[in-house]
Amino acid sequence: MRFGIFVHQNKRETSQMKKSSILGIVVIAIALSVIIATYGSASRYGTFADARKTNNELHVIGSLDKSKPLYYDAHKNANYFSFYLKDTIGNVSKVFVDGAEPQDFERSDKVVIVGKMEKNEFHASSINLKCPSKYKQDKLDSTYTYPVKTSSI
Amino acid sequence: MTTAFQGEHLLPGQLGQFFIILSFGSALFSAISYYFGTTGQNKFDTSWQWMGRIGHFVNTVSVIGVGACLFYIVYNSFFEYYYAWAHSSRTLPAYYIISSFWDGQEGSFWLWTFWQAVLGNIIIWKAKSWEKPVMTVIALAQALLTSFLLGIEVLGIHIGSSPFILLRTSMSEAPIFSRPDYLSFIKDGQGLNPLLQNYWMIIHPPILFLGFGSMVVPFAYAVAGLWQKRYKEWVQPAISYGLFAVMVLGTGVVMGSMWAYESLNFGGFWAWDPVENAALIPWLTMIGAVHVMIVYKNTGHSYFTAVFLTLISFVLVLYASFLTRSGVLGDTSVHSFTDLGMFWHLVIDVSVFFVIAAIVVIVRYKELPISKKEEETYSREFWMFVGAIFLALSCLQLIVVTSIPVFNRAFGTNIAPPTHPVTIYNVFQAGFAVVVTLLAGITQFMKYKKTDTTRFGITSIIYLVVSALITAVVVYFTKIYELRFVFVLVLFGGIYMLLANAKILGDVFKGKIKLAGSAIAHIGFGLLLIGALIAAGTSKVISQNETADYGADFAKGNNPKENIMLYKNEPVKMGEYTVTYVGDSVSAPNHYFKVAYKRMDATGKVVENFVLKPNSQSNPKMGLVSSPDTKHYLFHDLYTHISMAPQQAFSFGDEAAGHGEGNDDANYNPPTTHDIGIGDTIPFREGNIILVALNKEAHVQNIPMGPNDVAIGAILKVESHGQIYSAEPVFMVKGSNVFDFARKIDDAGLKMRLTKITPNKDNTPKVELMVYEQPESKKPYIVMRAIEFPYINFLWSGTVIMAIGVLLSIFRRNKELKTV
Repeated sequence: MRFGIFVHQNKRETSQMKKSSILGIVVIAIALSVIIATYGSASRYGTFADARKTNNELHVIGSLDKSKPLYYDAHKNANYFSFYLKDTIGNVSKVFVDGAEPQDFERSDKVVIVGKMEKNEFHASSINLKCPSKYKQDKLDSTYTYPVKTSSI
Repeated sequence: MTTAFQGEHLLPGQLGQFFIILSFGSALFSAISYYFGTTGQNKFDTSWQWMGRIGHFVNTVSVIGVGACLFYIVYNSFFEYYYAWAHSSRTLPAYYIISSFWDGQEGSFWLWTFWQAVLGNIIIWKAKSWEKPVMTVIALAQALLTSFLLGIEVLGIHIGSSPFILLRTSMSEAPIFSRPDYLSFIKDGQGLNPLLQNYWMIIHPPILFLGFGSMVVPFAYAVAGLWQKRYKEWVQPAISYGLFAVMVLGTGVVMGSMWAYESLNFGGFWAWDPVENAALIPWLTMIGAVHVMIVYKNTGHSYFTAVFLTLISFVLVLYASFLTRSGVLGDTSVHSFTDLGMFWHLVIDVSVFFVIAAIVVIVRYKELPISKKEEETYSREFWMFVGAIFLALSCLQLIVVTSIPVFNRAFGTNIAPPTHPVTIYNVFQAGFAVVVTLLAGITQFMKYKKTDTTRFGITSIIYLVVSALITAVVVYFTKIYELRFVFVLVLFGGIYMLLANAKILGDVFKGKIKLAGSAIAHIGFGLLLIGALIAAGTSKVISQNETADYGADFAKGNNPKENIMLYKNEPVKMGEYTVTYVGDSVSAPNHYFKVAYKRMDATGKVVENFVLKPNSQSNPKMGLVSSPDTKHYLFHDLYTHISMAPQQAFSFGDEAAGHGEGNDDANYNPPTTHDIGIGDTIPFREGNIILVALNKEAHVQNIPMGPNDVAIGAILKVESHGQIYSAEPVFMVKGSNVFDFARKIDDAGLKMRLTKITPNKDNTPKVELMVYEQPESKKPYIVMRAIEFPYINFLWSGTVIMAIGVLLSIFRRNKELKTV
C-alpha cells in the first residue's frame, strides 16, 4: 500500500496533470499488482512426486490408504498425527501434521493436504476432508478443515 | 407408476409444487406487464401497470404458499419428502425447524424470493413514478430466482431443484422404494446439520438474505434511471435503498461470523473462506456505491463510478450465489457444495443481469451526465470518491483470489489457491483498510466542494498526532508490534477514523443533527475494524503444550503445540488457569465435556471458578461434530473446544450395558488383592480407598434373597484428586453358590470386588478386596484447545453502532427524498 500513498503525495505536486488521470493510473497499477501478486502467491496442485522436487508448499489431493495405520496417541503427544495418503496417480506417502487427528478422519473419502516433503514424509500444514455423505448444505459448514497452525496475520 | 404407496401425504407437496410454478409464472407475467407498461406511449393507460401489480401480488401469495407447504411438511416430519428427510428429524426441537429451512439450497433460495417479493410490494407502495421501470427489473429478478425452485424437466433439461421432490423419486434406484409400504421403514430423517443447531442460525440467514435481496433495489433504480433517461433522479432513492442493503447485509455478515465463532472449530470469527468473501464483496462495493452516489448528488462529479458500483454490486451478489451454489469452488473451499445440476442455470442468472447492466450503460453512455470539470483537490467529495475507489480495489483482490477455481474451470488451468490464503488476504486487505480509514477520517475535516486549507491542515494534523499517540499506547499494551507493520497502520487508521468522527458527533450535539448518521456509522466501522484487528491479531493460544513427551518422531516439527490433553479429574495448569476435565453430560445428541477452570492468585486463593462445556455431537449425516464453548468477559473471551476425545466417550446408552465380565477386565490392569479390616486404607495410583464398614443387609437389585442366603457389602470411601466417591461391592452366598458383584468408579478409573470374608471371633472380620485400576491410556480424557481473544467485543459492539448509524442516515436521506 505504500505505493498508493506515495502517488497521492505526488498528486499535490503535479497539479497541472489531471487528477482523474493520475487516479486512473494508480487504480490500474494497483489492480495489476493485485492480480500479479495473487498469481505469484498461488500454489499448485501436485503429486507426491512433484512435492519431492520442490521446496515450495503445494496441494496434494488423495485418498486415505486404509491398509496402513493411522497414528495418533494423545497420551504421548496430543499434537502429532500421521497417516498414509494415496495421491491421484497412486503413489503412497506418509503424511504428518502437528495437531490432533481430525474428527471422523477415517470416514473421509478424499483428502486435500497442503504442505511439503521433509525427508520422505509429507509435512502438512493443513488438511481438508471431504466426506461422502455430507455437504448437502450451501451454508457454512466447516469443521472439516484443520488449519494446523493458526495463521499469523 | 403403478404401485400404490401407503401412508404418503401427497397433497402438501402437490400444492407446494403448484405454488412454485405459479410464483414463476406470475413473476414472469409481472415483469412482462411492467415492461410494456414502461414502454407504452399512452401515459394514462394504467392497465399494464395493474397487470404487473396483480402479477406481483400473486407472486407474493404463491411464494408464501410455497413456504407454508414446506413448513407444514418439515414440521409434521413427512419423510416421504426428500427435503424433510434430509434436513430434519423427529428429535429436532421446534425452533430449529426454521433453521432446517435453510439447511438446503432450495430453502435458502425460497428465503431470498420471499424477501424480494416483500421488497417488490414496498416499491409498489412507495415508488410512484418509478414503479413501472423498477418493478420490471425486480420482477425479472424474481422470475429468475423462482426458476431455481422449479424442479421440472423441459426438453430433457432439468430446470431448478424443487423442495417438494419425493424421497422415492430422488433415490429411485434403492430397492426399498419399490415396496408399497416403504414409508414404514423410514423411521426418522437425517437431521439438521448440528452446526446449524445454534440460535444464530435462526436469525442469521433471514437477515443475510434480506441483505442480498435488497441489493436488487438500487440496481433496479440505476437501470430504470438510465433506461428512462432520468439520469439524475434515480440516485436519491437508490441511496436510501443502498444504505438499507448496507445495514442489513453488514449485520448479516457479522452475525454469520458470530455464529462461526460460537459453533465452528477453526478458532476464530473470520477465515476468508470463499463463502464469507462472497457475502463481503457486494457489501463493500455497495458501501462504495452509496458514498459515490452521495458525491454525485452533492457535486455532480463521479457519475459513471456511481452507476458502475451500483450496478456491479447486484451482479456480484448473483456471482456470489454462483460461486457458492454451483459446486465450482470444489476443493478450494472448506465448505463443499453439492452441485444440484444448476451450474449453467446460475451462469445464465449472472449473465442476464450483467448484460442488462452493460446494455443500459453502453446505449446511454453518450448521454450520461459525466462531468468534464476537474474536482477540487481539497473538497470532501474528491477524497470520498478516492476512498470508494479503494474499497472497490479491495474487492478486486477478494474477487481475484476467490475466483481462482472459476479461472481453472474456464481456462482449464490447474492453479491452487495460495498456501497461506489467510495471510495474503490479511495483508492486502489491511493495506486497503489503511487508506480507506485514513480517508474516512480526514474527509471529516474537509468541507463540501472547497476547504479552507490552513484550518483544515491544522485540525487534521492535530488529530493525526493525537491518534498516533493513542495508537502507540494501544500497540504497546496489546503487543500488536509483534505483527507486521501494516497492522499497526490499520490500527492507526482506525483510531484516526474514530477520533475524527467523534469530533463530528460532538458537532451533532451542537446542532448539526444531519451529520449524526454518518458519524455514528463511521465510528461503528472503526470500532469493528479495531476489534477485529486486535482480536484476530493478538489472539493467544493458551493451551500451549509444555509438558508433552515429544517423541523422536515429533522433534522434526517445531510448530506451536496448541492442544493439551486432560485426563479426567487431573488438574492441569494452563496459562493462568488450572483446568480439569471433570465430567460429561449427555443430552442426546449432544455430548458435553465439562471443563472446570480455576484461577488462583499468588496466595493460592481461588479468585475465579467456572465451567465450560464444549460439546460434540454424533450425527448420522455428518459424523462427529464439535462446537466450542466460550467464556465472555468485557474485554476478552476465553474460547475452548475439543479437538479429540476417545470414541468410548460417545456411548449414548444403547451399548453401555451387556458386555461380558472377562471382556471388561481387559480394560483394567491386573488386579491387586488386599486383606484389610474396617478402617484400613488401600493406596492406589490416584488416591486412597478406605473400608468404612461392612453392610450385612446388602441388597442387589432384582435378586430375591432366601432365608439362608447372605449378602455382605463393603462400604468404601474413595478419595481421588480431591473428590470423594463411595462404592459398595457385594459378596453373596446364595444356596450353595458364591457370587460377588463388582462396583466401578469410572471417574477414578477403579473397579473393586469383594472376594472373600474371613469371620473373626472378636467381631473384627477381615475381607479380601480386589482392586482393578485402569491403565493410564484407558482413562477418559479429552484433547482440547483454548484461545484467548482480546477486545473482541469491540467487533460486535462496533457492528451494532454501525447499523444504528446507517439507520439514522437512511432517515436523513429519506427526509431529503421527494418522490414523484
